[in-house]
Amino acid sequence: MLKAEAYRALLESDFGVQEFSDKTPPCIEASEHHRLAATLKERGYTLYGFVAATHMPAVKGAADALELAGHYEVATGLRCPTEGSHIAIWRVRLGLDEELRTLVDLFAGADWQEREQYDLVGVRFADHPDLRRLMLPEDWEGHPLHRDYPIDTPHPPWR
Amino acid sequence: MAVDESDRSYEHPLYTTLERMPGLDVATTTIDKLLTWGATNSLWVFPMATSCCGIELMATAASRVDADRMGTIVRGTPRQCDVMVVAGTITVKMAPRVLKLWEQMPEPKWCIAMGSCAISGDFYRDIYSVIPGIDTAIPVDVYIPGCPPNPEQLIAGLMRLQEKVRAVRAGEWAPKEERPETAAMQKTAPSIARITSPERSKNITLAQLRGAGNLGLGGDMKRKSLPIVTAKAGPPAEASTAATESTEPASPDSAKAEDVEG
Repeated sequence: MLKAEAYRALLESDFGVQEFSDKTPPCIEASEHHRLAATLKERGYTLYGFVAATHMPAVKGAADALELAGHYEVATGLRCPTEGSHIAIWRVRLGLDEELRTLVDLFAGADWQEREQYDLVGVRFADHPDLRRLMLPEDWEGHPLHRDYPIDTPHPPWR
Repeated sequence: MAVDESDRSYEHPLYTTLERMPGLDVATTTIDKLLTWGATNSLWVFPMATSCCGIELMATAASRVDADRMGTIVRGTPRQCDVMVVAGTITVKMAPRVLKLWEQMPEPKWCIAMGSCAISGDFYRDIYSVIPGIDTAIPVDVYIPGCPPNPEQLIAGLMRLQEKVRAVRAGEWAPKEERPETAAMQKTAPSIARITSPERSKNITLAQLRGAGNLGLGGDMKRKSLPIVTAKAGPPAEASTAATESTEPASPDSAKAEDVEG
């Protein structure tokens, strides 16, 4: 069985994913995020690829509660570095005040990547050992990749 | 073809400052002239290189352009340097560090803003974390516009700085250089009028549609939101489209049909 098919079967059987699309990665529950990463690590996905978070602004009149209030979407990718080199990507939806469990205990490389997402987008990772800003100065206010962050925010005396 | 070498000098440049005494192995000058000569020909550079302009700064120090022949050596410490070349975008986080390094340089010191990012921030100017030009933080003596400026422009800038140093040391008034207008500040108009503009020739739209049809993109171009004109609305063929097309303008559909047949 191809790795892509095995990954899909795993998501369907163990994580209750119903919808699959060619364009967006499958979406799982935030509480299952750490368990999926651990399962995949056991199955050979030992290379931490990336974490990419997006802030989705509130949509007026949306049926979904998360969309109505605004939410984060966090996509994580793990790569299986053996033959075929399949990358397993999944997506998690989070409320603006929720926290996502960190993957640092599984993958040490997740440390700075999660710090970057916290710094720029504002997603908080629970149990992260060192959740500080990575790129911006430590006294920076706000998270600039939040959709409601004004791009022309002044920073005296520099700009 | 012989090279005209009549106005070339193979004398050591020190003799432009020293006065030769005929018949003696002694030369005289004033201390001040000698110091000025030394200061202008040993402008050591501190490379405040944060992005792609730094590559051109490296190329300037390398053998092809060789800034060392005018005494310009790149040093890795601010304590030994006379010129800070700010080459690249400076962010809000970087600016206090730049200022700290600038303050560590001994007087007299000069600053060169190299490239449009260091001059004004250029197209990163409006980003939340970029400062709009290094001259908001430290005084700039020479601006070298370009994105990035090539090594010859940097050499020209260093020579302008040498002139300024000479003038300042001679007690002359050296006017402050004006910040050049960079590319992002200039408003540019497109060479062909936009598709929504009434000045746009309909034949250009037609020709572009045909070109898109040839690429198999014709379907996307025929969306209702775009003001697509049909063949009968267009005036007779203009010179711009007549070069590659036949005499009478045909509709996009017929053009596409021809392609299918051909």
